[in-house]
Amino acid sequence: MLSIVPALEWLEALAWTTAIRESAWGYPIIETAHVASIVAFAGLVIMMDLRLVGLAFTHAPLMQIQRGLFPWQMAALVPSTATGVLLCVADPLRYYGNVFFRVKLVLLALAGVNALVFHLMAYRTDGRWDEHPQVVAGAWRAGAVSLVLWSAIIVSGRLIAFSWFF
Amino acid sequence: MAFIEWCDGLAMSQAYRESLWLFTLTQTLHLVAITTFIGAILIVDLRLLGWGLVRQSPARTARSAQRILLWAGLAVLATGIPQFTANALSYSRSPVFEFKMCLLAAALVFTATLRRRVAAADEGRLPVWVPRTVGAVSLALWMSVAISGRFITYYG
Repeated sequence: MLSIVPALEWLEALAWTTAIRESAWGYPIIETAHVASIVAFAGLVIMMDLRLVGLAFTHAPLMQIQRGLFPWQMAALVPSTATGVLLCVADPLRYYGNVFFRVKLVLLALAGVNALVFHLMAYRTDGRWDEHPQVVAGAWRAGAVSLVLWSAIIVSGRLIAFSWFF
Repeated sequence: MAFIEWCDGLAMSQAYRESLWLFTLTQTLHLVAITTFIGAILIVDLRLLGWGLVRQSPARTARSAQRILLWAGLAVLATGIPQFTANALSYSRSPVFEFKMCLLAAALVFTATLRRRVAAADEGRLPVWVPRTVGAVSLALWMSVAISGRFITYYG
């Protein structure tokens, strides 16, 4: 069976990934930047989700909150993804064998699909969001799913530090 | 020191030290609560800086965010306190933890006093540099609290 392990071994042996892995400061600095930008990103996603489920910021129409927050969510997503990828390539075999890392990747994919579906639906029905009960119900579902997924992503991200089962 | 020993001897502390599940659950819930808390801070700070929800007044956004701050803040405390009491002996000797608590105290005081009043002020009543400075200081303080918390793991 074709395995990606040889590719990961090659990645791990590269001079620059080895340098990050073995430096005293490199890893903690990247990891801290990862955590800080994820907190900003997920924090703003959670704010939008709380609006979608109707628990906060209900004084403003959905689409206004969406348009106000979306650029900032994206601004935080870029550094959190970049630092996340860097952490992975610096120690690929460790992450490959970690069950919580795999769970986190699956959850991230699900959150991405949920966000994309919501996004496309939101912008296609622009302006009608707060009047149509069906659209509002869709928004509620998207918000609730996102809240659950992002909480689980934060939890599984933290659990990567434990090496249970493997 | 008596307080530290009292914390260390609590039944809650002992249970926490002995149960991997309790430890994991508390710590992960702490992180989810922190993320929610920082989100509620960020949405108002961005607005004070003149970004984000620009079509709403800072006062409206701050009022709605305050409820989230309160609930998430309580959850952060409830999940943070057992982590401290269980390891009170080592935390009381940790310079990073001490640094985090000082920053946290500063951030809390700043948020409850100056930031609250500036966010509640009618738009245009204050010179534009006031909300911007308050937003920038708040953002720097709270991100520093979160980052120094992360550093406790590395440098005890």
